[in-house]
Amino acid sequence: MNSKEQQLTPVSMEMHYKVSGFLNMEYRLLDEERFTEWLALMDEDIHYWMPGIENRRRENLLSEGFYDANHMAFFDDGKLDLSRRVARFSQPSAWAENPATRNVHSLSNVEVFEGESESELLVYSVFQSVRSRGQDEEYVIFGRRRDLLVKNGDSFKIRKRLILMPNATLSCKNINTFL
Amino acid sequence: MSNIIKTLDATDCLEGIESVCDIESGRISGKIFYDQKIYEQELEKVFARCWLFVGHDSQIKKTGDYITTTMGEDEVIVIRQKSGGVKVLLNACPHRGNKVCFSESGSTRGFICNYHGWSFNVEGNLTGQHESGIYEDSNFDKSKWGLKEVAKVASYKGLIFATFDPESPSLEEYLGPMTWYLDALFDNQEGGTEFVGGCIRSTYECNWKIAAENFVGDILHAGWTHDSAARAMLGGAVSKVSDFEESYSVNWNGHGYEFALDTVGNVAVLGDSQLNKYLHTIKPSVAERLGDFRSNMIGSVSSCTIFPNFSFLAGQNTVRIWQPRGPNKIELFTWVVVNKSASQDIKDRWRKGAMMTFSPTGVFEMDDGENWEYCTKTAKGKVTAKQDLYIGLGMDSYLEDTDLPGNVYKGQLNEANSRAYYQRWQDLLQSKSWADVPNRNKGKAEVEK
Repeated sequence: MNSKEQQLTPVSMEMHYKVSGFLNMEYRLLDEERFTEWLALMDEDIHYWMPGIENRRRENLLSEGFYDANHMAFFDDGKLDLSRRVARFSQPSAWAENPATRNVHSLSNVEVFEGESESELLVYSVFQSVRSRGQDEEYVIFGRRRDLLVKNGDSFKIRKRLILMPNATLSCKNINTFL
Repeated sequence: MSNIIKTLDATDCLEGIESVCDIESGRISGKIFYDQKIYEQELEKVFARCWLFVGHDSQIKKTGDYITTTMGEDEVIVIRQKSGGVKVLLNACPHRGNKVCFSESGSTRGFICNYHGWSFNVEGNLTGQHESGIYEDSNFDKSKWGLKEVAKVASYKGLIFATFDPESPSLEEYLGPMTWYLDALFDNQEGGTEFVGGCIRSTYECNWKIAAENFVGDILHAGWTHDSAARAMLGGAVSKVSDFEESYSVNWNGHGYEFALDTVGNVAVLGDSQLNKYLHTIKPSVAERLGDFRSNMIGSVSSCTIFPNFSFLAGQNTVRIWQPRGPNKIELFTWVVVNKSASQDIKDRWRKGAMMTFSPTGVFEMDDGENWEYCTKTAKGKVTAKQDLYIGLGMDSYLEDTDLPGNVYKGQLNEANSRAYYQRWQDLLQSKSWADVPNRNKGKAEVEK
């Protein structure tokens, strides 16, 4: 554990339970294609970011190691971008989504810490996304996530999400879901 | 001894390859998307012979800067030399063949093989080995065992190409008048272009030609395939291409560019008015630089493939290679290109916009993948693979009287470029040497001044 991590304060058991429940609910909304409700969980200032992972030598790392804020990304979205993606899924002419892609999202290794302000929470987790399409296509993506949640009454909003896949080459044709 | 890797001796052409497609009748066959024997011939007669895109100048600025990529399925290192030039080296140690560079890009003083410690400098010369004394005992001549270079490397406006074949025509001759059209994206401002950092790689279960052909001349699919994406990004359908008063399909040596003259039809789908505004702002200076005609192409509804597997969209500014990985698999490498002289804000907007539309998460590209994979997979059926596939649109649309360079066809809703692409492919597979490849160009090789 580095010195930065020692400064992190774990939240109470009750708050941890609430956050886990919220994130599980978020994933169920995706699996049930309830995109409008899912979008409503995003803060107006959301930065939803999944940088491209670059396979580089240790002596040639980027500003963030295997990724860089100024490089290409799978997602580098604000609320408008996310709403456009949702709009695309919702079009009857999204031919490739009929028959629908069947999704199972799951989350594990959840760690919840207090954020920089009282209303913020920092959440580390590991995600797994399994998609099946058509008769026999199956795609699995694993990765780590770092979320910044803000308290919103009895629930939360997602203000920042960083999604890190280990793969430098995506082993399938697309990511037609959220992670 | 030359340090150039020897190219392949051409094997005999596949029996019956001349009739697998009948381009003049507007017919191709699904067999060309799934057949292992045809694929083996492609690696030899297309990828080991043609000029292939390997990178952009801006990716390797300083001595020792490198990127790794593939030419066909051959792994190569593209590295900037002290002289300012570029070498393309086989990424395989000449001792046991182990890969010497495992990273996709970086900066280095050389490469050391993990297996027996053979080390090579930026020029590819062998400079030492673990236990070097034993090599001296065997009268080993170090000068003969550097990393092998490809036969030729050349560039056009920052785009670096390489070929394994010393007999191939010059890059200038290979590209021909297509360069006049390439300038609309790659040289529309002083200083030219640069690639945004990074390279997104993904995997499709499709034949490489299906994807390349989509960019060589298939705008027809856009209005239908991409309807959902257009509605999401624009709030309405994409421009109706048949409404354009003037549009063209131009090809040369199998390369093809289809385009309208609407200036911003492509950029508009990024849904960022600042980018439309940028193109409108630079348009007068483009007109001064390239003339009025090409100033209308800077972000118009258009697409281009340089044969065999390098494609781009002006306006979306996505640049890609469809890397062959077997008859029914590709790795897609994508980059984003921007004008060097543009502001950082404009460059960032393009980086995001291109990814939002044309990338594995791009709302447009998602629909392409499905189509291309199943165009390929249906050909798994032996009987289905023999079915004729129609490719006859615009059969009589050749324009004799035009000042435009290249083989010019009227209208971009036209399969002329696709036919020329498959014709070139079939010509190469039927030819044991470059001298045997027929010249099917009938348009102007140069622009009339």
